[in-house]
Amino acid sequence: MRSIAPIDIAGGIALVAILAVAPMLVSSNYLTGVLTVCAVYGIWASSWDFMSGLTGRENFGHSLFIGAGAYTAGFLATIWFTNPWLSLPLAVVIAVAFSLLVGFPTLRLRGPYFALAMLSASAILQRLCLIFWEYTGGEEGLYGLDPLIKNPLHYYWFVLGVLVVTVIVLTLLAQSHWGLLLRAIRGDEATCQAAGINVTFYKIASLMISAGFAGLGGALYAHYQLQVSPPLFSVVVSITVIIMVYVGGIGSIYGAAVAAILLTLLTEMLRGFGEYRLWIYTLTLMLILFFLPNGLIAPLWRRVTERLR
Amino acid sequence: MTVLLEVDGVTKRFGGLTAVKNVTFTLQKGEFTGILGPNGAGKTTLFNILTGFMPPSSGAIHFNGELVRELAPYKVVNRGMARTFQLTRPFLGMNLLENVLVACMSPRAHQDKDQEARASYLLGQVGLGGRDREPVETLPYGDLRRLEIARALATRPDLLLLDEPFAGLGSSEIEQLAQLIRRLHREENLTILLIEHKLREFMALVSRVIAMNFGEIIAVGPPDEIVKNPKVIEAYIGKTEDEHASA
Repeated sequence: MRSIAPIDIAGGIALVAILAVAPMLVSSNYLTGVLTVCAVYGIWASSWDFMSGLTGRENFGHSLFIGAGAYTAGFLATIWFTNPWLSLPLAVVIAVAFSLLVGFPTLRLRGPYFALAMLSASAILQRLCLIFWEYTGGEEGLYGLDPLIKNPLHYYWFVLGVLVVTVIVLTLLAQSHWGLLLRAIRGDEATCQAAGINVTFYKIASLMISAGFAGLGGALYAHYQLQVSPPLFSVVVSITVIIMVYVGGIGSIYGAAVAAILLTLLTEMLRGFGEYRLWIYTLTLMLILFFLPNGLIAPLWRRVTERLR
Repeated sequence: MTVLLEVDGVTKRFGGLTAVKNVTFTLQKGEFTGILGPNGAGKTTLFNILTGFMPPSSGAIHFNGELVRELAPYKVVNRGMARTFQLTRPFLGMNLLENVLVACMSPRAHQDKDQEARASYLLGQVGLGGRDREPVETLPYGDLRRLEIARALATRPDLLLLDEPFAGLGSSEIEQLAQLIRRLHREENLTILLIEHKLREFMALVSRVIAMNFGEIIAVGPPDEIVKNPKVIEAYIGKTEDEHASA
């Protein structure tokens, strides 16, 4: 299929190398922590992009999978006291189960049903966390998760590694014949049907893959914060992820990951502006989305490297 | 000759309107049949029913001896019945090769190892050879119709349903496309069912005509008989000038 240009691989390696050594040069635990969150958002954004960016079926409740993964880790640590590493595969399983629950009835339909169902499902889960506070800790959430890796720098490298694997796997899938079918679904579902393609199957399968990586990211985040709470299910998380993908350039996967890292860093760097922080952040986003409807990262990268392809 | 398609009493109602009324006909393997009728006669609705895009209100459809009326469109395609759309619907943002490649990945077509080579070959078959990497957006209308046909062929159909392939084309384009369709019928062992209301091109292509009006079949026969059929003349060509003038 579409091959990945050497310049893309080189750019990727360079970026990952910079991200990997940055906390060593500055040697601040603060930066290590921020970069860990950056990498987690990278996983969330690229996983959203894989399903919604390629098929064009917007998922307005990615936080459902994120929260499901995080709470899986939370429950395992505070109720069953299992080996914390078990939370990673289980978070994937639970998130995928949720994707089937929402995707199966709604992805058969066209129109806004899927987007709305995802939005409401994440809102319902957030409410359920509050209603069943005896088990979920209510507003406070669940505390006392064990770190997967004690050294914060090593944990950051681990999360960065997961991000790299996520982007590579999703990119290879997106470049394969599979990705071609997902993009065809984005184009015209009726034509896909006329071409003999089981559209519903591909939509549900891509949502499962997207959910699995989001849930994995959720568990990684939980083991970084050592705590989970209901805002993980919130619309704010979902919208933040969607904005990251749009800034990155929809359907590009790597663009979403890079935008997630940059925007997370931007929010942190703007802390010095105190109360003006959200103003500046929001204005930046509005300018980007207004003047660059195709996104910033991926189109820019393609333009800069045009001659090297 | 064996029966490929058996349509038995198919009816489609939209509220109070009966778009297709008790339509019954059979297609033999290898036949080239056309459905003739003025706009609104129910031709495209019938196509949508046959290909699973729309469920019939009543009636049965057997394809290769199997009941297909409850099957989803992609399943019908994978049984060997492919269609083109009157308004061409290419996948935008993809090149010509990718547009055909999508259909090459349907379960029925999947047997091939090198699907890209096959997609490229099919583009050549419909006269779009050597243009694999061209974006689909720049394609003129006539070429889009060829692309539609290539995509349908990619699913390895036994029966090809063509929905007004000549609509909106110039006369030279029509002539070339008609030649292509004739060649495919001859060489690819295809059974073809074609909808058209352009009389001249239509009559030159098909060996049997099913004439429809107001959702009903009004006549069946070879083209030269159909054009003389009084019901067809009244329904299709309309009343004579004198009658219009006096009305």
